[in-house]
Amino acid sequence: MLDRDLVEEVLRAARRKGGDVAEVFVEERSSTSIRLDDGRVEELTSGLDRGAGVRVTLGTTYGYAYSNRLDRDALLGAAEAASAAIRGDAAGPVVDLTERAGPGTNRAERPASALPAADKVRWLREVDEVARGVSPEVVQVTGIYADSAQRRLIAASDGRWIDELRPRIRLVAQVVAKRGDVIQTGWDGPAACAGVEFLDAHPPATTARNAATRAVTMLDSVPAPAGEMPVVVVNGCGGVLFHEAVGHPLEADAVDKEASVYRGLVGTRCASELIDGVDDATIPNGWGSFDFDDEGEPAQRTVLFTGGVLQGFLQDRMHAAKMGVAPTGNARRESYAHPPIVRMTNTNILPGREDPEEIVRSTARGLYVRGLGGGQVNPATGDFVFGVSEGYLIEDGHVSTPVRGANLIGRAIEVMSSVDAVGSDFETWEGVCGKDGQGAPVGSGSPTLRIGRITVGGTGA
Amino acid sequence: MPELRELVRAAVDAAAPGEQVEAYAEESRHTEVKALRGEVEGMTFAESRGVGVRVIADGRLGYAWAADPSPEEVVATLERARANAALAEPDEHHGLPEAQPAPALDGLFDRSSAATPVQDKVDLALELERYAISRDPRVSKLDLAQVGDAVSSMAIASTAGVEAGYARTDAWVVVVTLAVDGDETQTGFSYAIERGLGGLAWQPIAEEAVDRGVQMLGAVKPPTAKLPVVLDPFAASSFLGVLAGALNAENVLKGRSLFAGRIGEEVGSAAVTLVDDGRRADGPGSCPFDDEGVPSGRTELFRAGTLEAYLHDTYTARRTGDGQRSTGNAKRAGYRSTPGVGTSNFYLEEGTPSFDELLAQADGGVLIMDVTGVHSGANPISGEFSVGATGRRIAGGELGEPLREMTIASTLPDMLRAVTAVGSDLRFFSSVGTPSVLISEMTLAGV
Repeated sequence: MLDRDLVEEVLRAARRKGGDVAEVFVEERSSTSIRLDDGRVEELTSGLDRGAGVRVTLGTTYGYAYSNRLDRDALLGAAEAASAAIRGDAAGPVVDLTERAGPGTNRAERPASALPAADKVRWLREVDEVARGVSPEVVQVTGIYADSAQRRLIAASDGRWIDELRPRIRLVAQVVAKRGDVIQTGWDGPAACAGVEFLDAHPPATTARNAATRAVTMLDSVPAPAGEMPVVVVNGCGGVLFHEAVGHPLEADAVDKEASVYRGLVGTRCASELIDGVDDATIPNGWGSFDFDDEGEPAQRTVLFTGGVLQGFLQDRMHAAKMGVAPTGNARRESYAHPPIVRMTNTNILPGREDPEEIVRSTARGLYVRGLGGGQVNPATGDFVFGVSEGYLIEDGHVSTPVRGANLIGRAIEVMSSVDAVGSDFETWEGVCGKDGQGAPVGSGSPTLRIGRITVGGTGA
Repeated sequence: MPELRELVRAAVDAAAPGEQVEAYAEESRHTEVKALRGEVEGMTFAESRGVGVRVIADGRLGYAWAADPSPEEVVATLERARANAALAEPDEHHGLPEAQPAPALDGLFDRSSAATPVQDKVDLALELERYAISRDPRVSKLDLAQVGDAVSSMAIASTAGVEAGYARTDAWVVVVTLAVDGDETQTGFSYAIERGLGGLAWQPIAEEAVDRGVQMLGAVKPPTAKLPVVLDPFAASSFLGVLAGALNAENVLKGRSLFAGRIGEEVGSAAVTLVDDGRRADGPGSCPFDDEGVPSGRTELFRAGTLEAYLHDTYTARRTGDGQRSTGNAKRAGYRSTPGVGTSNFYLEEGTPSFDELLAQADGGVLIMDVTGVHSGANPISGEFSVGATGRRIAGGELGEPLREMTIASTLPDMLRAVTAVGSDLRFFSSVGTPSVLISEMTLAGV
């Protein structure tokens, strides 16, 4: 993308005042998005984005400057601005840049860019037809198709040079169902770092049917109960809970600022002994996977919990150096317009031994969570919420009436410690996580699990 | 570097006969400084520019954008937009707005703020942290002390005769405190945005963030109950975003709003008057015209509880028919996106009672100071919500015990009908503003 001599010149300029590491991140991204709404293909958008960011770090402080102009003047200007933040006056060296190759975690068999837009439009029409065919109560269908190809160059003063291509594809169905005055919604949206072959395994018709069935099912729902009770979380959904409640407070920047409930707890049990958890960027074609993170560290599988005992934190280079541990490859950025920060990749609770159906049968009364709308955590206090988009009552060991307007609220350590059953099944969920104003595609996964006691925030009895 | 006006002109000049073309260009420069432990934790400088081109031909819409294009690349972008349009389905309601004169809006650009040296921003961030940790022995560290500012400009031109542009400055501070007592940590957030760095009253923001953290120390989980609730402006503002979605005419037209078909009906108590005003002097979202070039205006959505109007852009106005005009609410998330209906300064009009008077009317209830999980816990289509909350008990008109790990739940219609009073303490958070609000009853879930 950029000439190696120019990149070296920019790195040298960025090191004019020293610092620990100078780094250049260059990005070119082409994207296509198509939206079908109200029975019509409304909008096709294509974009070409490019830009570069220069960062200079010293300890855990940094200067960052970016531009979406890629000429020499703009890049040297960014190097000058980024290095202005560093307190020092002796220039640092730049090691000869050497290319590092990755394993090809996110190879696209059939790149989306090679497919005519008309074929992509056809998938959305199928979404509309299938969803409306589920029930006459389906009144509105939105289908969104998006793909992108992001080429990234990372070069740093320690000699690393990484050039990686990341393909992304996603197809979303959002359905509205109506009966009298009652309106309900359903959503499904599988996603991967892959080519269009991903849609063979996750056909648009299935996505449409899932979303429509959810919306129609929820028309029969009653207001969710309020108060503490056992909650069975179906496979896939528990991963999002783990991401919010546990993953964010395990990010090293929160730990370093003393804004994490898990600070000082490495090596101690702070979850049920049934919990084994990992953050894994090496899963082939995973939504949160890559070969190298956005600082150029190799992707890793980082063990977070073994038998409920905390094993360590998620690290970028700055915080790992400060804590005296190895980086875990968890530095990510939304684009060249953002400095890298500590983020999760694919965060999973590993499968256990119990029969998922038996977990429900052995629950006398509680809530069964089968769909979710995301969540939020305060890492410093560990207080988190988790929106339930598809929930049911459990009565006498059976899943019964659907409920709406439910939310789960709890404290990370207490809730993870009260998990008393972990199933042998496993499923994943793909989302976009927000932190410090940056969005990052993240995967999460889990088996079916039961939380012995957690507050359900509904309005009903 | 070509001027923005030159770039948008290039697209319009390249329009084919019978084709409607609109180009939108923007550029911005922003700086952000974060202070931590007496040092600069991070400094970010940004420069970006880009152009988005919208084409309507035979009722078909196509869009394409490019970062930092030359005039020739703008023409290539138009060609890509044209190719996209060919694949879309026709919709007779697509159309560009005719040029309308927009009265100038003074005060959007603060020259002295735009010229502020970086070192002054660094000093301000360091001072902000120093000041915040000097207020209370329980707050000796912060999660975030940030100072930021932006200088931006936009230009728009179309084959319908629109040719306009403006420049603006914005400046903001964000403070998140860590209040510590023994093993317990609580956080306190505050934020302000103004036109320029000189206008930022940062000390009160720091004091407020300290106070909001310290107040939460010792918080307990309350029992489940139905209670009167006062939402402070921080908490109430979270709900305004949900209301904005339900009042977006596109959602109304497409069956995704609980307010569809209810103009003229009473949808809230008489205390509820909800306004969008793009020309408010003190509004962070003010602009002379919207992102299609339509002049900004003032729209009353609810007047004393009655649904009066929805928010429109040109497309939704044309599709609604009946002489409906755009309310000047076409907004973009930058040059990468087509315009859609959005808010400018969207706010709940203030009432007369002070905050203390609201507390006095909510005896035995709770003050909600923060809500979380609104993006997942509140559904703008069905109107149901259940969100995490923190706050304090209200007893005898005074604030009591702090509360955490609870949820509040209701539906938007029930909540709007249960608004007993609206305070006089209107405050804007980015483009939404609200005073404190007293709600006669909500379900609070805890133990």
